[in-house]
Amino acid sequence: MRRRANPLLTGYALLVYAFLFAPIVVLVVFSFNDSRRNFVWKGFTTEWYPSLLANDEVLDALGVTLRLAVVAVLVSTVLGTLLGLALARLRGRSRSGLETLLLVPMVTPEIVMGLSLLLFFLQLFDGRGGFGQLSIAHVTFCLSYVAITVRARAAGLPAHLEEAARDLGASAFEAFRLVTLPLVAPGIAAGAMLAFALSFDDYVVTTFNAGVGSSTLPLYIYGRIKFGVTPEINAISTIIVAVTALALLIAWRLGRLRSPAPG
Amino acid sequence: MSHAYDGRSIDLEKALVRYMVERRISRRQLLDRIAKLGAAAALGPVIAACTGGASQAPSSGPSAAPSTEPTTAGPTPVPEPEKELFVYNWTGYIGEDTIPAFEAKYDVKVTYDFFSNTSEAYAKLGDDGGGYDLSFPISVDIPAFVAKGALRPLDKTLLPNIVNLGAEWADPGYDPGNTHSVPYMWWTTGVGYDTTKVTDSPTSSTALWDPRYGDHISMLDDYQECFALALIQLGYSANSTNTAELDEALALLQAQKPLVRVYSTDTVATMSGGDVWIGHIWGADLYAITTENPNVAYYIPEEGGVRGSDTMAIFSGAKHPIAAHLFINHMLDAQVSASNTNYIGYMGPNAAAKEFIEPYILEDPAVNPEEAILDKLQELLDLGQAVRDEYLSRWQVLRGGG
Amino acid sequence: MGLRDRAALLLAGPGTAWLAAFFVLPLAIIFVVSLGQRDALDRISLADPSLANYARAFDPRFLPTFLNSLRYAALTTILSLAIGYPIAYWISRHGGRRKVLLIVLVMLPFWTSYLIRTYAWMIVLRDNGVVNALLQAVGLTSEPLILLNTDFSVVLGMTYGFLPFAILPLYVSIDRLDENLVAAARDLYASGRAAFLHVTLPLTMPGVIAAALLTFIPAIGDFVTPDLLGGAETTTIAKVVQELFLQGRDWPYGAAIGFLLMVVTLAGTLLAVRTVRRELVGGGD
Repeated sequence: MRRRANPLLTGYALLVYAFLFAPIVVLVVFSFNDSRRNFVWKGFTTEWYPSLLANDEVLDALGVTLRLAVVAVLVSTVLGTLLGLALARLRGRSRSGLETLLLVPMVTPEIVMGLSLLLFFLQLFDGRGGFGQLSIAHVTFCLSYVAITVRARAAGLPAHLEEAARDLGASAFEAFRLVTLPLVAPGIAAGAMLAFALSFDDYVVTTFNAGVGSSTLPLYIYGRIKFGVTPEINAISTIIVAVTALALLIAWRLGRLRSPAPG
Repeated sequence: MSHAYDGRSIDLEKALVRYMVERRISRRQLLDRIAKLGAAAALGPVIAACTGGASQAPSSGPSAAPSTEPTTAGPTPVPEPEKELFVYNWTGYIGEDTIPAFEAKYDVKVTYDFFSNTSEAYAKLGDDGGGYDLSFPISVDIPAFVAKGALRPLDKTLLPNIVNLGAEWADPGYDPGNTHSVPYMWWTTGVGYDTTKVTDSPTSSTALWDPRYGDHISMLDDYQECFALALIQLGYSANSTNTAELDEALALLQAQKPLVRVYSTDTVATMSGGDVWIGHIWGADLYAITTENPNVAYYIPEEGGVRGSDTMAIFSGAKHPIAAHLFINHMLDAQVSASNTNYIGYMGPNAAAKEFIEPYILEDPAVNPEEAILDKLQELLDLGQAVRDEYLSRWQVLRGGG
Repeated sequence: MGLRDRAALLLAGPGTAWLAAFFVLPLAIIFVVSLGQRDALDRISLADPSLANYARAFDPRFLPTFLNSLRYAALTTILSLAIGYPIAYWISRHGGRRKVLLIVLVMLPFWTSYLIRTYAWMIVLRDNGVVNALLQAVGLTSEPLILLNTDFSVVLGMTYGFLPFAILPLYVSIDRLDENLVAAARDLYASGRAAFLHVTLPLTMPGVIAAALLTFIPAIGDFVTPDLLGGAETTTIAKVVQELFLQGRDWPYGAAIGFLLMVVTLAGTLLAVRTVRRELVGGGD
C-alpha cells in the first residue's frame, strides 16, 4: 500500500539520490570539457563523443568488459543464488561452514586473489590469461556477493509455503520454481546488479588475469592515468548511463518493471 | 607524416605546431585531414605561412637523409618477421602513428596492451614475459631482469638504427653495451610550483620543507625518488647504500610529513586542482600540468637532482623475436623517435631524432635541460635486493607511521 | 539429517565445488608461497618452508596502517547502514509501482568508471572545487577549507562507493517485512519507536547483517579510494600489502601479511555476526 510518506523521509530520500548522482553530474558535465584532461574546466565542446566512436581501442575494451560482465553475472548469479538459498536453510555447523567459506573470498585482498589465480593457471595449465581465465576470476569474486544478498531475502522464508505447495501436488522442482523463486527474485536481481557493478569496474584481479589482447575498460582507463584520462572516458560513461536509463524507461513503460499492486 | 628535410623544416614544424594549437586539433586529426583532403589541401594553409619552400641540399651528417620516407634503415637482408607482435606498455606512451606505420611497413599485427604502473606490470611479465614479446621496463630494473634470465639478449644485426643513439647512451650503467635493452625515454625529477602561490622563485629542494606551504606540498609516491631527494639535500649520493645516511634521510622525510598534503604520482591532478602549491614532480609532466594550470614553473634543485629512463626490452619467452627486433629498430629510427617524443612530450635518447623534434620541446628546460644541468644530475641505479629492503622498510615507516 | 537439510546441501553443491576449485586451491598455492622465501633474484624459493614470514608479519610498524583500515571500514559501514536503511525503507514502503525503478536508479551511478567518479569527487572537494567555491560565494568562508586528502574525503569516498552494497541487501530484506506485523504491534499500543526496535529491526536483521558484511569486509581491503582521495596520513594496510608484493617483490612475505589480515578480519567478522544474531535475533536467521 502506498501510504503518504512522511515528507521528511521523502526529502531525505531525495537528498540521498542527489548524493548518489552528484559525481555523475560532474562526470557528464566534464564529458564536454574542452581539454585533454579531466581536472580543469576549459570550455564547452562536443568533440569527445565523435572521437570516442572513432577510438577502436576503447570500444574494443568496452566490448570485452561487457561480454565479461555478462558471463560473470550469469554464472555467479546462478551459483550464488543456489548458495544463498542453501545458506538460508541450513542450520548449525553446516551453515557456519558455508558462511565462512563464502566470507573468505571477500576478506581476501584483491592482489592476493589476483596473483593466486595467476599462479594457479600458470602452474597447472601454463595459462597466460585470457577471456576464459578472466571469466573464471570474475565469477569467483562475485559469487559471495550474490549469495549473501540472496540469503538476506531468503532468510526466514517460511518453510510451510513450499511444503504447502508440495502437499497440493507440486513436485519439488515446481514448488521451488513457482513458490520459492518468485519470493526470492528481488534478492537474485539485486545480487546480479551488484555483481555487474563489481565485474564492470574490476581492476586488480583483472590486471593479473587478462591475457594478451583481452584488455578491459578499467585496464584502458588506468593505463591512461600517466597521460591523462581524457573526457572520452566521461563520454563513454555518460553514454552507458544514458542508454541504461533509456532502457529502463522503455522497460517500465512496457510494464515489465512495475511492481504488482500489493494487496 | 612525411616531409622534406630542408633548411626550412624548422619553420615548417613551428608553423604546423602553431596551426594545430590555433585550431586545437591533435596530430591525429591533422593526419586524418591529410588523408582525406590530400597533403596539399590540408597543409596548404600551413605552407602558405612559410615563405617559399624549395628544398635545399641538407648539410652532411649521417642522420640528415633528404628523403620523403621515414628514414628506417632496415637490416639487409630483412628477415621475415612473424605475423604478430605483443607489446605491453602504458596507454598512449607511444606516438600515434608509430604502430600503424610499423604494421604497414612489415605486415605485422601489433597487439598493444596497457598497464598502469610498472611494478604491477613486472608481476604480470614474470620470468619470461607472461605472453608478451616486448615491454618497457624502467632502466633501474633491467639488472634484476637480466639476472633472472627474463630478457632475451638483443641481436644487434637486426638493429642498425642503434647508431642513432646519443653517445652518452651507448654504455649505460644499468645495461652496459645495451646488450639486453635499448633506452626509450628519459626524464628529470625536480620541483614544480604555482607562481601565484609561491612567489619567491625558490631554487632549492628545501622549499618543499617550507612551513609556509604546509598542507600544500606534494611528494612523489615513489620511495626511490623521495629518498634520493632527501639524500641529495643532505649531501649524500642519491643511490646511497649507507644505512646511517638512510636513517638521516628518513628523519628528514619524517620532519616533512606533517606538511605534506599528498604522496602521489598523478602530479597533473594534484598540481592543477589548487590543493598543491609546490610539489616534487617529474619534469616531463610539466607540459601537461601547464595546460591545466599555466602558472606552474619547474626547477631542478640547486643541490642536484636525479634523472631516470626507461627502456625497450624483449623477453625470453617471446614468440615473435624477429618482429620485436624490427619494432625496436623502427622505434630507433630518427623520425619515429621524434614523433614519439612530439606526441608524448618526453625526450628520447636518440641524437639523430633531434632535428625532427618540435622546438618547444627541445627548448623546454624541464624536459630537455642544458648540458650544464644534465651533468649535475645523478642517475637512479638498481639498488639490489638487500639495499632495496632497507629503503622500502624505512619508506613504510614513513608512510605508515601515522 | 532431514530432507530439508539434504536438499540445502544439494543446492550448495555447485557453488561450493566452484569455490573449491577456483578459489580454495589457488589460495592454497599462495599459502604455500607464504611459507617460502624470496631468493636473491626475487623469485619464490620453497627450499626451506617455515612460518618465519608470519612471525615477521606481526611487526608493530604495521599497526598504525591496520588501525587506519579498521577505522575507515568501521566508519564506512556505520554510515552506509545509517544512510542506507532509511532510503531502503522509503523505497520499499513508499515506492509503490516505481519500486524496481527506484532501486535500479540506486545502482545506475555505479555502472560508470570508478576512476572518473573519484576524479569527480576530487573536482568537488578540492581547494578550488565546487564545495569551496560555493562556500566562498555564499560568504561562509574566506579561505578554502581543506577537504580533499583528508580522513573526511576518504570516508566520504568510501561510503559513497559502498552505499549501493548496503542499500540493496537492506531493501530486499525490508521489502519482505509483513506490514501486518508492524500494524499489530501498533495495535498493541507500541510506540512507533518501539515497533521499529522490536518488530521491524529484528525482522530485517538478515538485511542489516548482509549490508554490514558487504560493506565492512571489502572496505578493509580498499586501498584505491584512500590512495586517490587520501593524503599523507591515510595509508592503509591493504596498500602496504600491495607495495610489498609489487615494489618489494617479496611475495612470500606479502602473502603472509595478507593471510594474517584475512584471518584477523574473518575472525572479527564472524564473532560480530554471531554475537549480533544471538543478542538481537535470538538465534537463527
